[in-house]
Amino acid sequence: MKWHFRKPSVLPGFGLTLGFSLTYVTLLVLIPLGGLLLYTTKLSWSEFGAVISDPRVVASFKLSFGASLIAAVINLVFGLIVAWTLARYDFFGKKIVDALVDLPFALPTAVAGIALAAIFASNGWIGSLLEPFGIQIAYSRAGVVVALVFIGLPFVVRTVQPVIEEFEKEFEEASTSLGASWWQTFSRVILPSLMPALLTGFALSFARALGEYGSIIFISSNMPFVSEIVPLIIVTKLSQFDYVGATAVGTVMLLATFVILFLINAIQIYSREKSL
Amino acid sequence: MSIQISHINKRFDNFTALDNINLTIPDGELVALLGPSGSGKTTLLRIIAGLEEADSGTIYFNGEDTTATHVRDRGVGFVFQHYALFRHMSVFENVAFGLRVRPKETRPSEEEIKERVHRLLQLIQLDWIANRYPSQLSGGQRQRVALARALAVEPKVLLLDEPFGALDAKVRQELRQWLRSLHDEIHITSVFVTHDQEEALEVSDKIVVMNQGKIEQIGTPEEVYDRPANPFVYSFLGNVNLFHARVEQGSLHLENTELNTPDLGSSKEASLFVRPHEINISIDNVLGGGIEAKLIGWRLVGPRVRVELETLHAHQRVEAEISKVEWQTIKAHENDTLFVHFSNARIYTNEASWNDYVI
Amino acid sequence: MQNAHPLEPKWLKPLLLGTTLLFLAIFLALPLGVVFSEALAKGWKVYWASISEPDAIAAIKLTLLVVLVTVPLNTVFGVATAWLIAKFEFRGKGLLITLIDLPFAVSPVIAGLIFVLLFGSQGWFGAWLSSHDIRIVFATPGIILATLFITSPFVAREIIPLMQEQGTDEEESALTLGASGWQTFWKVTLPNIKWGLLYGVILSNARVMGEFGAVAVVSGHIRGMTTTMPLHVEILYGEYLFTAAFAVASLLTLLALVTLVLKSFIEWRIGKKRSLAH
Repeated sequence: MKWHFRKPSVLPGFGLTLGFSLTYVTLLVLIPLGGLLLYTTKLSWSEFGAVISDPRVVASFKLSFGASLIAAVINLVFGLIVAWTLARYDFFGKKIVDALVDLPFALPTAVAGIALAAIFASNGWIGSLLEPFGIQIAYSRAGVVVALVFIGLPFVVRTVQPVIEEFEKEFEEASTSLGASWWQTFSRVILPSLMPALLTGFALSFARALGEYGSIIFISSNMPFVSEIVPLIIVTKLSQFDYVGATAVGTVMLLATFVILFLINAIQIYSREKSL
Repeated sequence: MSIQISHINKRFDNFTALDNINLTIPDGELVALLGPSGSGKTTLLRIIAGLEEADSGTIYFNGEDTTATHVRDRGVGFVFQHYALFRHMSVFENVAFGLRVRPKETRPSEEEIKERVHRLLQLIQLDWIANRYPSQLSGGQRQRVALARALAVEPKVLLLDEPFGALDAKVRQELRQWLRSLHDEIHITSVFVTHDQEEALEVSDKIVVMNQGKIEQIGTPEEVYDRPANPFVYSFLGNVNLFHARVEQGSLHLENTELNTPDLGSSKEASLFVRPHEINISIDNVLGGGIEAKLIGWRLVGPRVRVELETLHAHQRVEAEISKVEWQTIKAHENDTLFVHFSNARIYTNEASWNDYVI
Repeated sequence: MQNAHPLEPKWLKPLLLGTTLLFLAIFLALPLGVVFSEALAKGWKVYWASISEPDAIAAIKLTLLVVLVTVPLNTVFGVATAWLIAKFEFRGKGLLITLIDLPFAVSPVIAGLIFVLLFGSQGWFGAWLSSHDIRIVFATPGIILATLFITSPFVAREIIPLMQEQGTDEEESALTLGASGWQTFWKVTLPNIKWGLLYGVILSNARVMGEFGAVAVVSGHIRGMTTTMPLHVEILYGEYLFTAAFAVASLLTLLALVTLVLKSFIEWRIGKKRSLAH
């Protein structure tokens, strides 16, 4: 018997929980997001275009996307190294280090922002080391990247770590017994199997970085055309009651988020099909 | 290529995995390392391959000391219990792997690789699935691909770690025979590890029986089955019934009966080993010397019948294997006292000496 | 000691281990250190004064209020949704799961934006609200709503996979033995998910207290009335009162550290590793 909506079950509570969930999700998520999208339709295409193509806004898009991309790449490389180390090696203090990797996720973004600003300012612990070389991190675009690296750090590590942990050593042994060097084993056998997790972690890190606000505004100089990120533009427009402008920019950001989510799902489905 | 294993020792923390192992595997032979878990057989195999390092001792390939050679340079083909096929590569790519990772100087051309891989796939009768991925293959197919992959690099020695352990009974049987005929065709020195004595008996030229890090016996399947060197080998290969008895100058006191034996001394405890098919059951003890027993259970196993009895005297369980014809007679008297006789047996006294007992 | 990875080149482990420790020292250890060193830079007295002055106390109170409202609500939502998804099969389940996950991926600033668009003075309900003298945006209700939105997936994401793993067998046996739905839930389901639930609540709590972007948009930064702790940090920092800012920040940092400790404890308890970032 083909069931039409719901598979019959003896367990109670379907109606209750379905009702509650739908109500909650509708009120809290659908209506507000719908409100945003509906507001977007208030704009004519030309209004929308005008906001999006405003040079200051364009500059902020470039900065947000660019810095997020760079930070995600840095997190990809170093996240892999950290995940590898935690998954395969034992060392003194490992448990503490392992737990600390989640710090960027547990720490409020504002706290992260002021802490990183303090460290990388020209009189800060690291900033002062770099100043003689003329390298300025805080209050510059480099600062934005640094903050985004912090924010995205756990994503690659935690997505890749379990995959490395579960990787059976027999694959390495098989590859080596067939004559492969360590690098060949890594690049031809290990890395391909880590690809889905790496890509997912990268995408998550990137998505997180795009929307990040709290940690950036303290370490960036927030100057229009130079170091102003997209979320800040939205906040600024709202404080000027420019709802139209804020909505237009916000819609673009939301679209970008959806695209990334879609890509992540696609990666998951693809890798499941190949049962990697 | 012959393999010589000389004074190999290996410990893992407090556990002795291998204790002074000495073994020679002649060129072209198919040898089984047989033993229960913890016997050290897999450890020994991995040491031969170079995947583990022995604490002391030497391995020689054709007389050359390879103990310090890295596994990738030893020229061994290793087949893992769970195949370890590279999931993201097709069957073709898997088999070609060993050829592709060769340094430029020794790497064959693309056409040559193609040709070699297809020849191998034909050898294992799987040429038609060259483009499939491991996840699309059955267990038996995967194991054959793993074998082809190991053979592709033309190894001097083939090492297999419980190659059929993860397969269904029927597939296991088929692959066993297939491995044997493959070996007959290509005559590569092969060593495989198994805990399945049936497998070892059926497939190998020689069996090395191992237990707790030591070698118990080395011999052909017949030698090891018919002339086991000690109780462990006896009971590990095939089913066995164990009786406790006393020897008293030429006679063995057992249950309610006395049997004639060679002179083994007097007043000694002894153990009697009898295989199920070496037991005869009579209904009337006409020949004498039968042990009184009653029938407890029976079941058909293919063309034979497994009969379970309990001795009346010492209440010992006895498992016998008889033909269907013999069973008809017994069955008619299933509630009467029956008599157990031995057509062949082995006696083992405390002095660790074996004696045949033949009626 | 045996080498756990004998096939790796000998220089690989020291290189990767060194790189890891250096990288994490810069990005994790230093920020932790600097918070406390700056907070205490002028001594304990100033530290104590910073966190006990009226605006700081008001911020702490508001933060706690938001926690007390949002965490229980989201927990109930999470449990109800997990029950729905794990115990039943129905069309549109995948869509529901995606909707539940959505706030997790959305930028906090967007989260604030959408509520301003709904309830702000120029928003959909703006006129109606001001005529009834109800303030949502630039007041506590707005903060609560925005925080609810952002943190709604947390408990759900933790216990949905957990309950899916556990299946329906135990609940069905309870029913055959005569238990009612509620009894089944309290006596059979809840004990099975208690650690995962606790985990989700702790995570949720940390996120609620630390939420910045969404609240910044929605609150209007009215000192003493609509500033939560993270916003208070921002205000102090903006006024160059660095030590005070770090003092309040140190409270939040301590909370983060406690969260990590509890997470490790729970992982040890259930014997399995979970990720905060999955």
